[in-house]
Amino acid sequence: MSEWFRVFKQGLSIENPLTVLMIGLCATLAVSTQFQNALFMGFAVIFVLTMSNVLVSVFRRLIPSEVRIPIFIVVIASFVTIVDLVMKAFVPSVYSVLGIWIPLIVVNCVILGRAEAFAYQNTVGLSAADGLGMGIGYSAVIVLLALIRELFGTGRIVWFDGVLFSLPAGYAPPSLLLLFPGAFLVFAFMIVGARWINERFEARKEAPACRP
Amino acid sequence: MSAVSQLALLFIGAALINNILLTRFIGLCPFFGVSSNMETSVGMSLSVVFVMVMASTATWVVWEFVLAPLGVGEFLYIPAFILIIASLVQFVEMYLRKASPVLYRAMGIYLPLITTNCAVLATATEAAKPGFFKMNLAITNSAGALSLGEALVYTLGVSVGFGFALVTFAALRERLDLAPVSRLMKGTPIAFITAGLLSLAYVGMSGWFGL
Repeated sequence: MSEWFRVFKQGLSIENPLTVLMIGLCATLAVSTQFQNALFMGFAVIFVLTMSNVLVSVFRRLIPSEVRIPIFIVVIASFVTIVDLVMKAFVPSVYSVLGIWIPLIVVNCVILGRAEAFAYQNTVGLSAADGLGMGIGYSAVIVLLALIRELFGTGRIVWFDGVLFSLPAGYAPPSLLLLFPGAFLVFAFMIVGARWINERFEARKEAPACRP
Repeated sequence: MSAVSQLALLFIGAALINNILLTRFIGLCPFFGVSSNMETSVGMSLSVVFVMVMASTATWVVWEFVLAPLGVGEFLYIPAFILIIASLVQFVEMYLRKASPVLYRAMGIYLPLITTNCAVLATATEAAKPGFFKMNLAITNSAGALSLGEALVYTLGVSVGFGFALVTFAALRERLDLAPVSRLMKGTPIAFITAGLLSLAYVGMSGWFGL
């Protein structure tokens, strides 16, 4: 069980796919204009990542290594199709904004990368932990980015038809944050923040070991 | 508007105004991955132009003659398109190795990477699947579908825009290596800020020709 939590936590912090490994960036920057869209994108990624990790792991002894990549892609594509159709049916307003990004989860390097690097070599339980951890780590970053951009770019957070939270009326939102360059700039500072936290964390962990 | 000028607008719109990298964020992995030197980014750009045009043609034909007539396009397009692209890339690689060693040396190592390049899947989907193409609806017919010619011009525009942005960014990053940057900012963060400023320049182009 402790092994399970170790793998789970790795995705959240020291192996976070976005801020540390820098993979799967495209969708992150594009859908992070609204908290609501980012949250649904996060759910979609968590679902596809966990399910594909589990399925690949279940069949890992049966998949010949020569054709593993096409097989992974078909597995991932099937789960993405499920998400695509479910979202279209139940949350059409979100689907119309996410649009092309749902099919593009197929080529999101995070998912193929975890199937190849982790699920193909580990047991089902650990692969599920890895999928959940990586998925939640991915979603946390994307949701945080969206919160910053939406809150400071429009002055409020919208959830479907209602307003969840809004800044004082005197705030004049800089629309740059909502435009494309804003995504790059905010994300750059998020990476700096993540690096700084990781550095502090490592320093604290190493400190006791250095004592004679 | 004549057909030729419409196609020209479609090309410019796809290449510059709706630049796939800097205004739509599609294909950022190679954008940050291979842009650290000029030579690899030129090779990558050429391969992307080549593969994207072939992939769009293939997905367009498959949608038009297989998926749409059978009525299974809505739920099979994701696996179908990604498998078409993956196998196409594999074939192109094998063919180039045999037929044109010069071309293979120039773009061989980038070809496997292109399979998981989201720009290729995105463009091929937009070119083939009616309703996914939202950029300039005036040019398309009521269903939002592109004809094969329009799809090719659109894809060519997207891929040239991709290459242009990638090469510009690589030139900037080569200079950036020599610049004094603070420790935490070095590497990726400063590259992102550069990309943000470059993207600001592209945002300035929106509204040209009423696109």
